Amino acid sequence: MKITIWKSTRRAFLAASCATLSLMAQAQQTYTVSVSLDYTGPFANVMDSWWAGQQSVFDWWNDTKGKAIGVKLDIKTHDMRYDASVVARTWPQILSSDKPIVFLGMGSPDLVSLMKRLPVDKVPMIMGTAMIGPLWTSDGWHFSYRPTYSHEFAGLFAYMQARLPEKRALRIGTVSTQGLAGYVDQVNGVVALAKAYPDRFNVVSSQWVDNQPITVTSQIQEMAKFKPDLILVGTNTAQVVATAKALKELGLKTPIVTSSHNGLTEAAKAIPMADLEGSYSVFAFAPYNDPAVKVADIFAKYNKVKGGTWGITAAQTAGQALLAVAAVEKAVAKVGAGNLSGQAIYDALLSGPYAAESFQGLMPSLQLRKDAPFPTDNLAVKAMTVKGGKLEAVSTDWMPVPALAKW
Amino acid sequence: MSMLPSGVFFQSYAAEQGLLRTWPQRLGLVASFLLLASMGWLMNNYWLGILTLGGITLVAVLGLHITIGMAGLLNLGQSAFVGIGAFVAASMAANGWSIWVTLPCSGLAAGIVSILFGLPAVRIKGFYLALTTIAAQIIFPIVMIRLPDGWFGGSAGMSVDPPVIFGWVINTPRSYFLLVLSVAAVAFLVATNLGRSRAGRAFRAIHDNDIASSVVGVNLAKVKIQAFFVGALFAGFSGALYAYFVRYVSTDQFTLWLSVWYVGMLIVGGMHTPFGAMLGVAVITLLQEGVHLLGTKVLSSFTGMSGGTVFSMTNVVLGGVIILMLLFEPLGLAHRWSILKSSYRIWPYPRG
Repeated sequence: MKITIWKSTRRAFLAASCATLSLMAQAQQTYTVSVSLDYTGPFANVMDSWWAGQQSVFDWWNDTKGKAIGVKLDIKTHDMRYDASVVARTWPQILSSDKPIVFLGMGSPDLVSLMKRLPVDKVPMIMGTAMIGPLWTSDGWHFSYRPTYSHEFAGLFAYMQARLPEKRALRIGTVSTQGLAGYVDQVNGVVALAKAYPDRFNVVSSQWVDNQPITVTSQIQEMAKFKPDLILVGTNTAQVVATAKALKELGLKTPIVTSSHNGLTEAAKAIPMADLEGSYSVFAFAPYNDPAVKVADIFAKYNKVKGGTWGITAAQTAGQALLAVAAVEKAVAKVGAGNLSGQAIYDALLSGPYAAESFQGLMPSLQLRKDAPFPTDNLAVKAMTVKGGKLEAVSTDWMPVPALAKW
Repeated sequence: MSMLPSGVFFQSYAAEQGLLRTWPQRLGLVASFLLLASMGWLMNNYWLGILTLGGITLVAVLGLHITIGMAGLLNLGQSAFVGIGAFVAASMAANGWSIWVTLPCSGLAAGIVSILFGLPAVRIKGFYLALTTIAAQIIFPIVMIRLPDGWFGGSAGMSVDPPVIFGWVINTPRSYFLLVLSVAAVAFLVATNLGRSRAGRAFRAIHDNDIASSVVGVNLAKVKIQAFFVGALFAGFSGALYAYFVRYVSTDQFTLWLSVWYVGMLIVGGMHTPFGAMLGVAVITLLQEGVHLLGTKVLSSFTGMSGGTVFSMTNVVLGGVIILMLLFEPLGLAHRWSILKSSYRIWPYPRG
């Protein structure tokens, strides 16, 4: 008799547990987030870390906040090969099979192919890379948490100018390539900065070199006549390496300023870190080794990608995913877990501000508006530099970016 | 004129000269076209996208078949002419012109610009001519960026709205595939017929021996420029279709690398017939897709191999195919097809 009661109680308990679990499963709504990756294109060698940054944030969110609000994000990755035509031909398939509520883009091929389609297809796109001036358009459905490259450089330039031993404009030299719209725009933006603040910044020499140069010594020699305080190389790693080699050959100690994608870690794979002594990488997110960056712990716990390591690349894409999940949370608060859509995420993205706490120490607070695809208010950046052959943060505080009008 | 099965004969010269001389040939063509068109309903959007891009590429490679395959003028700047067509289409579309106007204007613009780079062909050939066409490729982005922004968007590039035909917005994968298929079919037909025309025969003559052809009355300068013009005309059409497909044009989409791929497709397929161009585009596209799909599978299965390695392997495999074709079948896959066809026609007798 005792055994029978025990059995019945156990059965009832099991049935109740199953019913509860089933109800919980029903209550949790699943939505798809599509992600553009480049596993077999020119950026394939950094893709493990790229994807690891996004995957770990989404897994962490599903495991914690998503569970609490009854939403699960199903991530579908697509190998777009960093090719605009591949993006254009894959997008209809993504729309029909994934039905994403948000799309995480990778670079300019995603931007140029989808800019016009997103408002029609009602799917917002979030980028992890910095923007460029030509994409500074209003009413778009493409967003980045980072402003333009020129904005990011301007933040570091302002910091450096304020610390010059004498009161004068910072002398800037630039190395870039003609014919590539994004590269030319970086220089155009910095020239616009110098025009806006002539007493603070002066572009003394702009050298145009091959996209993948073997040597830029003659160009750097020419630039050296104007005694630049720094040389901006925001393009690619090959140009950073060539510039560092040229400076060494000429016996010059001018610091090089790079971005995140062509930064010091990447350049140090080709030349000794000592050759980059005093150079900088600047971007609108915190350095991966900044103690304030809590997302590093999330990465350590949730990363499932073999070969994915925590660094600038993973931090950059983790920021992209953090903005996406923050928008999902905001959208759920507004329309409910059962009514998420591309339109709801788009509205949520524009209904900021997003507090810095949402970004686990990786980004400052940000506000997106319809008039630009990136935040334009209270912009701030952080930078890394090489000191004694080691990478370290330039400043623990965010460095404010001077206001820069559209050029 | 290829061999026909015994019992097939013609009662008029016109019938003998026809492109499609027997009813099975006509039936085969109609069936093939209908089969291709039905892909719009049978295939998913992903494969439809691949077919559409393949069709756009085919139009550019058919142009290259005319310049290189027919006239023997090495052109390594075809992608720049595709780019010119794309920018002209984008610019005109932004000003409200219909695709009926933008498509021919894109072709004409590319053709006219090509004359500038075709002029050196009057004096030089071979590697020297190839270098001048590479110059077109290098000059193209610099000029496009330097032109006033209002013309072609400057460094920003230009976005393009989907085309409208008879009030019907071509914005679905299926409708755009059918549009590209129609243009590619017309381009194929024109390229095929061009080889049988007076101009086409002049192209062939200068390809085989330009000095001898000038002796028999071919105006070398005129014919060489014509060959460049027609090849670039096709490239312009391809560029316009590309612009409407990707919906955005910027100079970095039209690279020397793309031009080299066009030539690679022509070599693999066979540069002397339009059918060779079609085979080349189909085989290289399928190979590219296969290697990329396999690469992605390999990545997910064997994590020891980095994405960078797979990317390098893609190019090694595709480059290897071109080398093998040059070594073992320099006349391309079209020649293999031709051998297969004649073997079938004279079966059971042995060929050769």
